[in-house]
Amino acid sequence: MPHQCVHCGKIYPTGSKEILEGCSCGSRFFYYIKDEEYQKLKEKIPLLTKEEKKQIERDIREMSGIKKEDAPIVLDLESIRAISPGKFEIDIVNLFNKHRPIIYKVEEGKYIIDLASTFEKNKKN
Amino acid sequence: MIRTIFEKLASWWFKNKKDINLGFYGPPNAGKTSLANRICKDFLGEELGKVSKIPHETREVQFRESVEVEYDGKKMKLKLVDTPGIATKVDYEDFLKYKLKKSEAKKRAKEATQGIVEAIKWLEDMDVVVVVLDATENPYNQVNITIIGNLVARKIPVLIVANKIDLKKADIKRIKAAFPEYPVVGISAKYGNNIEEFYREVFNISKKRKKK
Repeated sequence: MPHQCVHCGKIYPTGSKEILEGCSCGSRFFYYIKDEEYQKLKEKIPLLTKEEKKQIERDIREMSGIKKEDAPIVLDLESIRAISPGKFEIDIVNLFNKHRPIIYKVEEGKYIIDLASTFEKNKKN
Repeated sequence: MIRTIFEKLASWWFKNKKDINLGFYGPPNAGKTSLANRICKDFLGEELGKVSKIPHETREVQFRESVEVEYDGKKMKLKLVDTPGIATKVDYEDFLKYKLKKSEAKKRAKEATQGIVEAIKWLEDMDVVVVVLDATENPYNQVNITIIGNLVARKIPVLIVANKIDLKKADIKRIKAAFPEYPVVGISAKYGNNIEEFYREVFNISKKRKKK
């Protein structure tokens, strides 16, 4: 399954070190895409201004509780979708599924984020 | 003498007994915090959280440990976990009619969405769950069905509370018909109507919990 950088659109195959270390453009945000959906998804990737991308990253990091600025975030099927700032759709069936990671999708940039690294079972306290 | 020793032992055992984690789950504005407040007021004399007419007032999981609840001479130590309302859509525009500023409404929406994720994460730790529903609303919706379905799948005992029975539009029968396999108790968390029956049911479902 390929991963695509949110910022520059570069595609990386599964297991690439860039997914962990960050894209060559410096971004650590990736789309996670199924091969068969790749073509479809490619058409949907919107154009965002730099500031919009930054804002989306800030919002998602804040919402997910990822404090480390350089922590990689991989994108997958969405369970939370931000249609626009302040408007969210939540796929609760997906969220309740404990075997799946939490994924945020921000539509003003229509992106999808997998937060598997933060979804630890005993996360509280 | 023997009795005193026995009483001391009993009280020691009770103090050292682990709290039963009792979670309050449900859609926004159903009265989860009002009910948690009612229990806290009844047994501790103080409230747990703030309530408001504006949906998603509780946006962080809040809890109170070691709440000794008594019913019919029996005692139980609970950790009350009040969770943010679970919804499939959070829209800041819904808050604007409550005269919130646009920026406040957007912030509330973001926090409410985070709260939903938190609430679901906490489910793992619950021993028993009280699903609080607004009895004036149609119970057949994705949120209610998903919450209850997941609790059953995880073998967490469920008690359904049909809240707001003080309101004319309240319809407990509809809730009972929607979830015929689960105990349903109609109450008014705000005024305390039928709260004794609620406590009885809490004791009943707590017996069904999985022992840790």
